[in-house]
Amino acid sequence: MNAVTDLQQRMLRAHHAGDNAALPTLYLEAARLREAQGEVDAACFFYTQAYVYALDAGDDATAGEARNRLKTHGRDR
Amino acid sequence: MNILAQEMLSAVMQPVETARGLPNEFYTDPEVHVAEKRVLFASTWACAGFVSDIPKRGDANPVSFLGQPLLMVRGNDDDIKVFQNVCRHRGMILVEEKTTLRSTIRCPYHSWCYNFDGSLRTTPHVGGPGNNLHDCIKREELGLIEVRSHVFMGMIFVNLDGKAPAFNEHAATLLEQWKEFVDRPLFHAGQDSSFKLNVRCNWKLAVENYCESYHLPWVHPGLNSYSRLEDHYNIVEPGAYSGQGSVVYNSQLDATRKFANFDGLSDKWNTGAEYVSLYPNVLLGVHRDHTFAIMLDPQSHDQTIERVEIFYATEEMCGPEMADLRQKNAKMWKDIFIEDIFVVEGMQKGRSASLYDGGKFSPVMDVPTYCFHEWVARRFTGK
Ligand code: FES
Ligand SMILES: [Fe+2]
Repeated sequence: MNAVTDLQQRMLRAHHAGDNAALPTLYLEAARLREAQGEVDAACFFYTQAYVYALDAGDDATAGEARNRLKTHGRDR
Repeated sequence: MNILAQEMLSAVMQPVETARGLPNEFYTDPEVHVAEKRVLFASTWACAGFVSDIPKRGDANPVSFLGQPLLMVRGNDDDIKVFQNVCRHRGMILVEEKTTLRSTIRCPYHSWCYNFDGSLRTTPHVGGPGNNLHDCIKREELGLIEVRSHVFMGMIFVNLDGKAPAFNEHAATLLEQWKEFVDRPLFHAGQDSSFKLNVRCNWKLAVENYCESYHLPWVHPGLNSYSRLEDHYNIVEPGAYSGQGSVVYNSQLDATRKFANFDGLSDKWNTGAEYVSLYPNVLLGVHRDHTFAIMLDPQSHDQTIERVEIFYATEEMCGPEMADLRQKNAKMWKDIFIEDIFVVEGMQKGRSASLYDGGKFSPVMDVPTYCFHEWVARRFTGK
């Protein structure tokens, strides 16, 4: 199993289990992977998911990082 | 409002000696109830909840008040705000159940996120996947719809149409009359100082019954031992509130222990107590050692929930050592309010008597009730 599908599995499990605290970092991980591959749209999609779930979970560090990346790409403010 | 109804309301606005009470439709007609939401509630200050519902930062309490979805939120600065509980995007209900929010109010539909002050924080994918911006989505114009609110004696008041005078102006006379109580912290002990009664009557009957003392010797014979009819006086402030006072308050819940008194009260309150209906839907009581507030939450023209919350003078009174005494006090009040249920429900049934003309007031004993009826009639006629 490659890194992407493994991450997808973990995300699905977290969604199913209602493990909202795990979601921000899982999406952040996905976003970084895509960003490293130069896929800006996909990365920003995942940064957005990370940002929103982090706000919801009160995970300030993840929210801050995701938002900064989105701002850098002109996708949020 | 038709001519006949106008005439019946002008009969209510006569001097107390000749006035009649409100016509039956004000108790039995769902359409009048709909009109009341606008005329008697939305255009003034009504109680929609209590501060004790949202004790911690981030607490959010969704309520349905007069059929309106409202959301009460305690922000990070402890500031309490009330919003319409609806997302500015496609109108989804934002919060379904009482909860403690972490750092955002997130709409469960497309996850637009709002700050606790109502401002719109982010709009995920609104400009396409991975793009949270779009020129047409102006966040500064899309904050939550705030409802004007004001905290008073542990209650959260709202002015739904946003056009009433400021609360302090609206309640100026009561603020003056009770200046010794209103500007100090009140302490709520939680569960044991809180109860609800579900009554099958129009909300106005609860107001009417609460503000008069005429019924005490008949409906509350137990009270009579220390609260006789002749020890009561009327409180009448036309257009604002009415009720009764007692000069013989002397609570004896326990042989040795007492609740602490509020600091620095004048002598009047050594044995004084006052009970007023602040129009439209609040029933208040003040004593030297505790206050209570009852919110009337109309469910329909003939169903009302009475929410009762009791407050004490100091933090210590809310601790575990005083729990049994608080329970006794709550039980005492609950028993009294339960004694009133057959009367308010009985008056509701009576209002189906088609030839009943709204009734007669005693110019001595019924002045507070008359004052309330007159307020209703004046708001409906604009006089
Ligand atoms: S309805 Fe709330 S985000 Fe769409
Ligand atoms: Fe009573």
